[in-house]
Parts: sequence; structure tokens; C-alpha cells
Amino acid sequence: MTHQMHAYHMVNPSPWPLTGALSALLMTSGLIMWFHFNSLMLLILGLATNTLTMYQWWRDIIREGTFQGHHTPIVQKGLRYGMILFIISEVFFFAGFFWAFYHSSLAPTPELGGCWPPTGIYPLNPMEVPLLNTSVLLASGVSITWAHHSLLEGNRKQMLQALSITIMLGIYFTLLQMSEYFETSFTISDSVYGSTFFMATGFHGLHVIIGSTFLTICFFRQLKFHFTSNHHFGFEAAAWYWHFVDVVWLFLYVSIYWWGS
Amino acid sequence: MAEDIKTKIKNYKTAPFNSRFPNQNQTRNCWQNYLHFHRCEKAMTAKGGDVSACEWYHCVYKSLCPISWVSKWDDRRRAEGMFPRKI
Repeated sequence: MTHQMHAYHMVNPSPWPLTGALSALLMTSGLIMWFHFNSLMLLILGLATNTLTMYQWWRDIIREGTFQGHHTPIVQKGLRYGMILFIISEVFFFAGFFWAFYHSSLAPTPELGGCWPPTGIYPLNPMEVPLLNTSVLLASGVSITWAHHSLLEGNRKQMLQALSITIMLGIYFTLLQMSEYFETSFTISDSVYGSTFFMATGFHGLHVIIGSTFLTICFFRQLKFHFTSNHHFGFEAAAWYWHFVDVVWLFLYVSIYWWGS
Repeated sequence: MAEDIKTKIKNYKTAPFNSRFPNQNQTRNCWQNYLHFHRCEKAMTAKGGDVSACEWYHCVYKSLCPISWVSKWDDRRRAEGMFPRKI
């Protein structure tokens, strides 16, 4: 019987990259069908196949790492690089929206009245719910650090408590933002103000939901004893992502909500 | 100073360099002078002052602004609530 003579993980053939690519095609063409031809079928199919791919792919990674022991230190190092590079790519993604915002707000055109906020736009008060949102996310950054330290110290109960507080704060943020969206006197089609506001805050909100989902998965994994006190990269990746989401919010708050009002 | 202005307007050729707008994009220069002229004209007419003092801004914006912009802004000014700034 042959054994591998190295510590790397030669992954078995898997159908999920293909189903993922197909789901991406279905989602993009589905969006076109929805925008232009008033049909949701392709998009729903795309979202379903995308969700199934994510569920099965990540489930397999958990099986390979947690149950089969393939995630040696060097494999874990690769996963760390991967997550960091992914987050860096997300930073660039948001950089685009911030560029768009500053492009339009630093030199407001005559059509807007030569001022920012444009004539007729009444922004949200940055000292009201947006400030609360800032404190909610900052607090969740503290609670997730608490969760991490509890995990490192082997304190199972406290880890679960702290992680659940983090998740609840994330959900609270999402609910507050949703109510704020109903409160705005402007919509996405209200000049470049509306466009930049909703594109930037909208994608941020999506990332909060993604981050909260990631944290929830970690919560259930912890319940099922997947993490040890010195091997819990899934949790660390979720924590990094969560901090990233928090930092993006801080930039959003200072730029769009505060300076932009 | 008013004498200087009148001489300057008499000898006017084109908009001079304005250090407030040093870059290639002169949109703001055009917009600012358009606003200045119409606010000056409105204020002078209301207080019964000499509207010819506003003539400088008129000359500058006529030199700088594209004609299509000026006619669009003039139409908007006349329509109620269509102009994005207070004149």
C-alpha cells in the first residue's frame, strides 16, 4: 500500500468546481433574464445550484480537514494565505465603490447644484441610527475576540456565549440597516448620491449577512466539537472576515454618512 | 475700484486666469460666474443698485460656458423649482 511522502493535501477529484462554475453562468444569465425579460426561473436555478455547491464543497473541506486529518500545518498555512488574499480582493472590490463616491462628491457637478449632498437630497443623520450601527459592529469585534480567547483557553461554554453574542449583534446591525433603508427620503435612482449610497452600503450589508452566516456555521461546528484549542482555522477565517466587514463599515460611516452629509 | 471695473469691462477680451480654478477642468469657473452674475443682478435690481457692476461676471461666463449649458440653465431658472441653486 503506497503512502504520500509529503505533508500536502492532494485533493480527490470533486464535481463542485464544475457545478460552481455552472451556477455562476446560471446566475449571470439569470440576472439578464430578470432585468430584461421579466423571468426569474434561470436566476432561481442559479441561486439554488450556487447554494448547493457552497454547502457541499465546504462540507467536503470540513470532512477532509476535521475528520480525515488532511489539514497539516503546511496545508493550514496555504488556507491562511488563501483567506488573506481573498479578503484583499474584497478590499479592492470596495475600493471601487469608495472611488466612485469620492469622484462624485469631491467635485459635485452643476446638475447637482455644485454642492454635496446634492440639492434636494436630505441625508440620514449620522448621529442617530448610523452611530448606533457603528457601536454595534465595534462591540461585535470585541465579543468575537472574547470568543477566540475562550476557544484558545479551552473554555467551551464561554466561546459559545461570546460567539452567539457576536452573531446576534450582526443580526441586530442587519435589522437596523434594513429599517434605515425604509427611512431614507431618497432611493437608489436619486442622482449619483443615491447610486453611491446604496451600492456601497448595500454591498456592505450583503457582506455582513455573509459574515454572520459564516459565524453561525462556526457556532454549530463548535457545538459539534470540531474545533480544538490550537486548531480552529475555520473560526479564525470567519473572525478575519468579520473584522474586515467592521473596518469597511467604519470607512463607510466616516466617508458617506458623516463627511458626506 | 468701480472705475477699474469699467475699464476692465471696456477692454475685455476673454476670461483671465483665475487662481481659484487653476486646472484644466473649468466647469466650476463657468458655473461660479454664472451663479455670481444672476445673484448679483437679482440683488442689485431688488436694492435699486447699479446692475452694470455685475457685467464682469456676465462677460466671464459668456466666454467660458458652452452655449448649450447656458441656454439649459436659463430655461431651468425660469421654470419654478427646476434650478438646483438659490439665485
